[in-house]
Amino acid sequence: MFRIIKKSLKTGVVTGQHPEAGPAEQPVASEARKNAAPFRRSLAVREVDTGSCNACEMEMNALMNPVYDGERFGLHVAASPRHADALVVTGPVTVNMERALKDVYRATPDPKLVIALGDCAVNCGVFKGSYAVTGPVERHIPVDVRIPGCPPRPAEILAALEELRGRLDKTAG
Amino acid sequence: MAETINPTERLQEAFGNAIADVSQVQGIPRFRLDKETLPLVAHFVHTHPDLRGSLSLLWAVDHRPREARYELCYLFTLVEQKDWLLLCTDLHGDDRLFRSITPHIHAAKWYEREIRDLFGLIAQGHPDLRRLVRHEHWPKGTHPLKKDFHWDTVLERHQGQHVFRRIEGEGVFEVPVGPIHAGIIEPGHFRFSVAGEPIMQLELHHFWKHRGVEKLFERQRLTTGLSLAERVSGDTTVGHSLAYCQAVEALLGLEVPRRARYLRSLFLELERLHNHLGDVGAICNDTAYALAHAHCSRMKERIMQLNDRLTGSRFLRGVNQIGGAGCDLTAGQLSGLLEETAAIERDFSELESVIFANASLTDRLEATGVLKERTAWDHAVMGLVGRASGIDRDLRRDRPFAAYDEVPVKVALYRYGDVRARLRVRMDEIHESVRLIGEIRRLIPQGPIAVEPAGLPAAGSWALSAVEGWRGEILYVVMAGEEGRIHRCKVRDPSFVNWPAIQWAVLGNIIPDFPLINKSFNLSYAGNDL
Repeated sequence: MFRIIKKSLKTGVVTGQHPEAGPAEQPVASEARKNAAPFRRSLAVREVDTGSCNACEMEMNALMNPVYDGERFGLHVAASPRHADALVVTGPVTVNMERALKDVYRATPDPKLVIALGDCAVNCGVFKGSYAVTGPVERHIPVDVRIPGCPPRPAEILAALEELRGRLDKTAG
Repeated sequence: MAETINPTERLQEAFGNAIADVSQVQGIPRFRLDKETLPLVAHFVHTHPDLRGSLSLLWAVDHRPREARYELCYLFTLVEQKDWLLLCTDLHGDDRLFRSITPHIHAAKWYEREIRDLFGLIAQGHPDLRRLVRHEHWPKGTHPLKKDFHWDTVLERHQGQHVFRRIEGEGVFEVPVGPIHAGIIEPGHFRFSVAGEPIMQLELHHFWKHRGVEKLFERQRLTTGLSLAERVSGDTTVGHSLAYCQAVEALLGLEVPRRARYLRSLFLELERLHNHLGDVGAICNDTAYALAHAHCSRMKERIMQLNDRLTGSRFLRGVNQIGGAGCDLTAGQLSGLLEETAAIERDFSELESVIFANASLTDRLEATGVLKERTAWDHAVMGLVGRASGIDRDLRRDRPFAAYDEVPVKVALYRYGDVRARLRVRMDEIHESVRLIGEIRRLIPQGPIAVEPAGLPAAGSWALSAVEGWRGEILYVVMAGEEGRIHRCKVRDPSFVNWPAIQWAVLGNIIPDFPLINKSFNLSYAGNDL
């Protein structure tokens, strides 16, 4: 017990100790912000991997670590699409995952958002054209936000999600 | 002292007449055999007490249109000498059949199914010829790695249902899990058969993420395939890119400068460090011990930010390039790196004592998900999972690459094969990696970090390279085509070998412990599915 307390005291607060995100490569469209209005205060996301190299998954996981602590912005990772407000899709959509993606989309209750995370989800990246890849996410389901990068850094993901939900405006102006 | 055994002599003694040709490729003895004798020789290599060959890789090459033949290559690692031995055979003309070695060598099971899916070559006598990579909705006759299959073919969708193995009986029921799981992880499907709580059978249904990586390599030039290699499995960026670079360098006959070899080892250890730190936390998290998870993911993040500062990529992308290293570190950066990793190690050591003082955690970890040494050997399990089950193999020590011949590694080894042993291997390797980074910093020479590639290899020549990534042995076979193009690139992540073993490790455990067991293996889906 003493060891745990000592460790906690020595560690202190690490939240927020991360580099600032650079300017967004692709600004969030105003229409997407309108769709995101119901989720301003809290957003439950379901992460769906349709064929990524798993770097995007690692960054999504990092988003929830004590340093970025997505929870403080009302971000939650839902275990089921039925509990989700938004789907975060990573990777090009492979032939084998195509049906699962459509099923997940149908299982997510309306209103919902779809966020394409990473270059592969946006434009298939290095896997473009392959026989085993059916195309980017938007070929199968409507996409609201694109967060490019290979993979995007957690700070960039966080910034894009904040911009989407219009929460940056308050500080900006 | 036992007399040294020459495997070539042993094989010639036993199979003299059947061996068509013996040659050396990169110092690996290669035996060319006819397809009828090959299974016998393979069985001999696998079971002979002096050789004890463990199947490391089995791959096929389509030599058309240059020659009308398919080639099958079987790579064995001999357990005593840690040497490689290669058996090859040809299928000429329209011949599509070869004899399966799976009935004798369990480790060949997935390889032979994969070859059938990707090349349309059928392993006769294989106990399970269901589709592996191509799911059932793929049209018949699609074999993507055949040379007459275009890389950008648009596939139609057919009707088809995967048939799982079934256990029938009173009270037996099936629990399907996936392909989309509850956490932020990759897609895969698991089918449990249970009676009550203990698992009687687990069957994997993977390859949801099959992206056609090996076919995409065939569109690349030798010098441009690197960015694809980095994206085979994102968490093993350095391991995969290094293995690819080494293969291409062997083909081009490049001598990598010494400083670059040190840098490569350094980055490989950094990658090992952040992945192991993350895994230790994740294993604790799966026993609902959130405190250890929080601390570990904090330390992992510290390394990722360090990576970003040093190389401009949190995943160390671009640190390897063909002919050397892609980025250099100044003396100041190196000592800063050393300080930081030493601080993280101190931090981690404190956490370690907190973790081991927790009795309820130990209770969950001990004797959970036991992979016996015998089972591990039968499946040729490798990497940290193997080392937790008593398989004493580590390429950094056995076949030194990069700078490991000058910076020797102490290999962590446990015999219990349970989740705790796999956790212990990771913890030992964290300390070892920090020590290695210190050694590298001490010994790193000055000098150039890269040489320019020049010249082209002859079409048809090939090279094999192996790297001990953080998960285990990563193998690349690269075969040159015309004008510096890639004719064939076989990629093997350790996940492909270790996945089937998980089906044995979970037997008798309860389903709620499956996530924990799965996490302690922490295998890549992307590297497996390709």
